Amino acid sequence: MLVDAIRAEGFRLSKNRTLMFLSVLFTPLLFALGGVGYHVISKSKGDEAAAAAGLAVTAGGEAVNLAEALNMGAGAGANGFILVFMLIAAATLYAGDYRWETWRLITPRNGRVALLLGKLGVLKLLALAAMVAFLIASFIFFVSQAMVYQRPMSFSYDVSETGSLALIWLLSWTRIVQFAMIALLTAVISRSLLAALFVPWALGFAQSLLGQFMPLIGWEPQMWAPQLLLPGLAYDTLKAAVMGTIEAPLTIATAWRSLIGLTLWTLVPLALAIAWFKRQDLSKE
Amino acid sequence: MTAVIETRGLTKTYGSVRALDGLDLSIPRGGVYGVLGPNGAGKSTLFRILLGLIRATDGTASVMGGGVGDVAAMRRMGSMIETPRFPPYLNARQVLEWLARAQGIAGAADIPRWLERVGLAEAADRRVRGFSVGMMQRLGVAAALLSDPELIILDEPTSGMDPPGIQEMRALIRALADHEGVTVVLASHQLLEVQRVCDRVAILNKGKLVREGSVAELTTVGERLRLMVSPAAQVLEVLGARGVAEGDAVLADIKRDEGPALIRSLAAAGVDIHEARWVGTDLESIFFTETGAVQAPETIHAG
Repeated sequence: MLVDAIRAEGFRLSKNRTLMFLSVLFTPLLFALGGVGYHVISKSKGDEAAAAAGLAVTAGGEAVNLAEALNMGAGAGANGFILVFMLIAAATLYAGDYRWETWRLITPRNGRVALLLGKLGVLKLLALAAMVAFLIASFIFFVSQAMVYQRPMSFSYDVSETGSLALIWLLSWTRIVQFAMIALLTAVISRSLLAALFVPWALGFAQSLLGQFMPLIGWEPQMWAPQLLLPGLAYDTLKAAVMGTIEAPLTIATAWRSLIGLTLWTLVPLALAIAWFKRQDLSKE
Repeated sequence: MTAVIETRGLTKTYGSVRALDGLDLSIPRGGVYGVLGPNGAGKSTLFRILLGLIRATDGTASVMGGGVGDVAAMRRMGSMIETPRFPPYLNARQVLEWLARAQGIAGAADIPRWLERVGLAEAADRRVRGFSVGMMQRLGVAAALLSDPELIILDEPTSGMDPPGIQEMRALIRALADHEGVTVVLASHQLLEVQRVCDRVAILNKGKLVREGSVAELTTVGERLRLMVSPAAQVLEVLGARGVAEGDAVLADIKRDEGPALIRSLAAAGVDIHEARWVGTDLESIFFTETGAVQAPETIHAG
């Protein structure tokens, strides 16, 4: 039944081209184009400065390592833009059947839990697709840098870093899914697409503000409270721990708190949404 | 006769309102079964419980031998509750493909066949955002038929349809029951339609079953011979207490086998008989009697 739900949801989503473009391609495309533009403008400014100083700009120099794109794709895969645009997809996926009154068509002949998990499965695949698209955009960023500055390209990759790179990918993926989980819970409780869109956004914004003003309320990043209440901070802490760039006062012990925080923010909304949905009156949508 | 739907003491309350009040209902396999009742009688609540969209407060219900929520049993059933809506960016064919996948139906080979049968073959590739209510209704019926179900539950299947559409839908429903062995359970406010298409009916009122039986049985009870005769007074005199005037006609409260003898005797007595026909009690009259609903004067008719 879960497989049926994923197949059906995936099929339906594939026909919603606007949503697919916004959630998967828009941010990477913006990033790639922005990157090319950035390099072109930087180079022209550099050329002007060099000309003003009476210097000749020569091609060549240090090679651009395209393997850096792997780190950028993984580390920035859950950036704010991707989160916001994935939220549009999540809200549509999770609240669409309330909006179109289609739960009554599909729930009798498939399990409610399977249908909800099917949506989650498709969202996970979509998040993965967005991350892959962002990875490609990262490659475009570095390739365009090499082309604009006429520098050689190389691909120098340390295989021993594969594990940590995979972990960062997993973390970024989890962060996107976790953020969208609030949309799932909101959609199920409110039955509203707009609420599913704006409640997680507002919550994310409030958490981001709270993260900025932590010192004002006496919070330190290594404390339990911020790690449990701010999943964005938990994600950053975990990422730093995996990359080996964790700095005092954060420690590996703090990272465990982060892991608990991120896990709770992922699983608790899911459990609540399932419990609510199982008993929900689906005759009024 | 095995039952495809069975309820025992089925009760649903919304606060102090009892939408269903201990309903015992057994719907046999085969034929077309109508569920009638005024607004608020509990028809939609019954269907929604049977489909697992809402939970009963008390009592039990089974569909195709399985409990409500038994997906294996439910997949042998199709349904359409009220006018369906669909994601507007899908076309008719894609709607059916999506629903087929959600129900675990392999392949999409039958989709053109069902679109053809509900009269949507030409609109197969049109997005449903431009569909009329009647077209949505047809697509909803096609969706209900996707899995070649043994049972179909249809709530107001002809709502929003034009007269030719209603006629086509009636023919489709009859064909499903008569030639494909599908049990069709439908709710409708159009009593004449129900009388034409259904084999059996249940009349609900205030959440309770007030009458159940075959349409033929129900409508032949109270059958009378309607005579257009002159002079009517002479016929009323012959009939005595068994005759009653209805405008220019006389209604004779006699049995069918007494009819020929009565007509012969009236003819022998020199009465001019312009018309003689048997009139039964129609479903509409039964409905109003059983539910206590107020009948508008223009809807009162006997034949």
